[in-house]
Amino acid sequence: MAGFILRRLLLLVPILLGVSILMFVIIRMAPGDPAVAYLKLSNIPPTPSAVADARHTLGLDRPILAQYASWIRNAVQGDFGISHVTRRPVIDDILHYLPATLQLAGVALVFTLLVSVPLGIWSARYKDRWPDHLVRGFAFLGVSTPSFWLGFLLVLLFSLTLKWLPPMGKGGWQHMIMPVLAVSFMSLAINARLLRASMLETASSRHVLYARLRGLTDGQVERSHILRNAMLPIVTATGMHVGELLGGTLVIESVFGWPGIGRYAVTAIYSRDFPVIQCFTLFLVTIFVICNLVVDILYAWLDPRIRLNAEAAL
Amino acid sequence: MRGVLVGALLGIAAAVLPVSGVVAQTLNFSWPANVGPLNPHAYSPSQMFAQGMVYESLVKYQADGTVAPWLATSWTASEDGKTYTFKLRDDVTFSNGDKFDAAAVVANLETVMANRKSHDWLELINQLQSVKALDDLTVELQLKEPYYPLLQELALVRPVRFLAPSQFPASGNTEEGIKAPIGTGPWKLVETRLGEHDVFERNDSYWGDKPAYEKIVVKVIADSNTRAVALETGDIDLIYGDEGPITPDTFARLKAQGYQAEISPPLGTQVIALNTNKAPTNDLAVRQAINHAIDKDMLIAAIYHGTQTRADTLFAPTAPYSNIGLRPYGYDAALAASLLDKAGWTIAPGATFRAKDGQPLQIDLAYIGTDAVMKSVAEVLQADLAKVGIEARLLGEEANSFYARQTDGNFGMIFGNTWGAPYDPHAFVSSMRVPAHADYQAQLGLADKAKIDAEIDQALTSTDETKRQTLYTDILTRLHDEAVYLPLTYSTAILVARDNVGNLSFGATQFDYPFAALKPKD
Repeated sequence: MAGFILRRLLLLVPILLGVSILMFVIIRMAPGDPAVAYLKLSNIPPTPSAVADARHTLGLDRPILAQYASWIRNAVQGDFGISHVTRRPVIDDILHYLPATLQLAGVALVFTLLVSVPLGIWSARYKDRWPDHLVRGFAFLGVSTPSFWLGFLLVLLFSLTLKWLPPMGKGGWQHMIMPVLAVSFMSLAINARLLRASMLETASSRHVLYARLRGLTDGQVERSHILRNAMLPIVTATGMHVGELLGGTLVIESVFGWPGIGRYAVTAIYSRDFPVIQCFTLFLVTIFVICNLVVDILYAWLDPRIRLNAEAAL
Repeated sequence: MRGVLVGALLGIAAAVLPVSGVVAQTLNFSWPANVGPLNPHAYSPSQMFAQGMVYESLVKYQADGTVAPWLATSWTASEDGKTYTFKLRDDVTFSNGDKFDAAAVVANLETVMANRKSHDWLELINQLQSVKALDDLTVELQLKEPYYPLLQELALVRPVRFLAPSQFPASGNTEEGIKAPIGTGPWKLVETRLGEHDVFERNDSYWGDKPAYEKIVVKVIADSNTRAVALETGDIDLIYGDEGPITPDTFARLKAQGYQAEISPPLGTQVIALNTNKAPTNDLAVRQAINHAIDKDMLIAAIYHGTQTRADTLFAPTAPYSNIGLRPYGYDAALAASLLDKAGWTIAPGATFRAKDGQPLQIDLAYIGTDAVMKSVAEVLQADLAKVGIEARLLGEEANSFYARQTDGNFGMIFGNTWGAPYDPHAFVSSMRVPAHADYQAQLGLADKAKIDAEIDQALTSTDETKRQTLYTDILTRLHDEAVYLPLTYSTAILVARDNVGNLSFGATQFDYPFAALKPKD
């Protein structure tokens, strides 16, 4: 098992390297000139000589290979450069904004699980009856609603019309309600639908039939024989949701003025703040890879067949 | 226990019940980023509006384009225009109690001059040769060449405002950072919470009229829709700015909802340069026809929802030296068509566009393809020009290619902006002499381009006010009569405020935020 984890972690190195090269090239090919954006932020008229100076200051006048070489050399030592916009080390900024994002994404994840699991069970239990139709309709709505749009609708209802909740900022728990709802709606819908399908599939398998033949009650069958087996896909999905929720904060934090890395990254994209975009991308990739790894470990732990197969293969 | 309960109830009551007669002493504002370290001699991330709250300059730029005394009470210029002597106020202290005097002025200007490279976009800094204190309250500035816009540029928010010398770093070089942002202005920065807000308090030892508000909280809001919502819910009281703090349609909506909503007098000009050095815009009749063919009022209503105003001349008449009674071209499609007819640009039977001697009347209009507003404006221009038989080909390119066209003159029509007060007109006409500017390229086809450039030289170095006005009148009249430009709109700052904010006004330049003048209302 330790070898497995180690191998997977080592695999992170080539992945990050590949992503960093791709990212480095793509953002430089995208339209928009960081030197002009930088001058605009400084309110300096972008005359050709001023643009040339700014390009030099930001180190963008060197060949792209040289830029990448010095960037990667520093990055492996934990130095991701200085933000064009804030003129602070990128890593300091990210560490400053990270806790707020983790708080938002963490609460959203817990909320997703707390709501989606009962919904999925309820839906499966009453297959093709009104609770099932309700949940399926809800899931359909969830996967097709863009989070920022939902965010603005929530603000319109709860802040502008009803005046119940603050529209923006970070403060008490009231500030979290709308961002959490908006960012988790899609994951929640996916999860509920997935659990329903998975439970129905398990319910028609033989061991469930035998359990019923043994005279176990519906409740016992559902808890010990359907739900436990049906949970496996949810574990996979949840691993993906962690990444999705963190990525979703990109948009939601801007809508709700939440001081996290999502809003920081969006601002960076608008001002072509290369060092920040590069660092943020690598950060998200790392999170995704680690989540997948954790999912695989959980799998092995939850399902002896996978664990034993893996050990037999060694 | 009962005491606690009663206290809690009273607290709740106080929080819930509106208290009449008490006026809020805090103004809530928003900005896309934190205000930064507020180093008066540095640029981003220090935010200009906030530097303007904390620091002051020797002189103040006014809405009519003149310069008024500020930290300096008076000044004199030598006969040759190279030496300026400023008398300072003697009742000014920095917000930490330090005295503002000639030594402080010298220390600040010297550190700026030592970092010339960072400020070389600003001609004032290139011209500054030396600065010395003649006595406690007298400062002498020595220039390399006579440069009359010295006063306008001394009024800028940066880099020529004054930090208390006690807040300089040990090296004396503010480029390396400052200890704390201590200025002489009406506000003090008291708190910064990264990503959340910045708080300013009134400087109670301020030498001038003290602000009516005690406190300004600047919340970090990056998204313009979120900003509009925050105003509607009362999380902020004021939206103000010139760079689209909210979209034009949101401005129109808030105005319709009854919020106090105003636009400022012209700040700068959005203008299209017409290339006199390239066919077919090398024909004066074509350039004049273009100027008559555009329905600017419609453009402003459709795209800017009335947040900009119609520009008839390159510089608004409110800019210095620019109120010279130029006759606007005016929207007149029939006139445009007849000008073209007379010049030999005619429509062949069955054709949509005009031609002359087999050459089609086809003009490249260059804009930045990713800029949605520029794109819509370009499309409106294209439609208006088509009505008089001119074919505008839209060249929406990425920024680098667009700027390359400005530099090498490879355009028929191209978007541009004047720099706005206090740079207009001097800095803008100054750049007309530089080959790497679209304006130079656009003017190259004029028979007397050399004479115009010579007149610009003279205007910038002349020490005689009357002569300077004559020169500017001549330059601006020539450019207007030759129809080198198609002025579109004057950009403005917008202001939207809740009912509890009174005494609304606009700053004289796009960089002045008039917080000190605002008054809370019941």
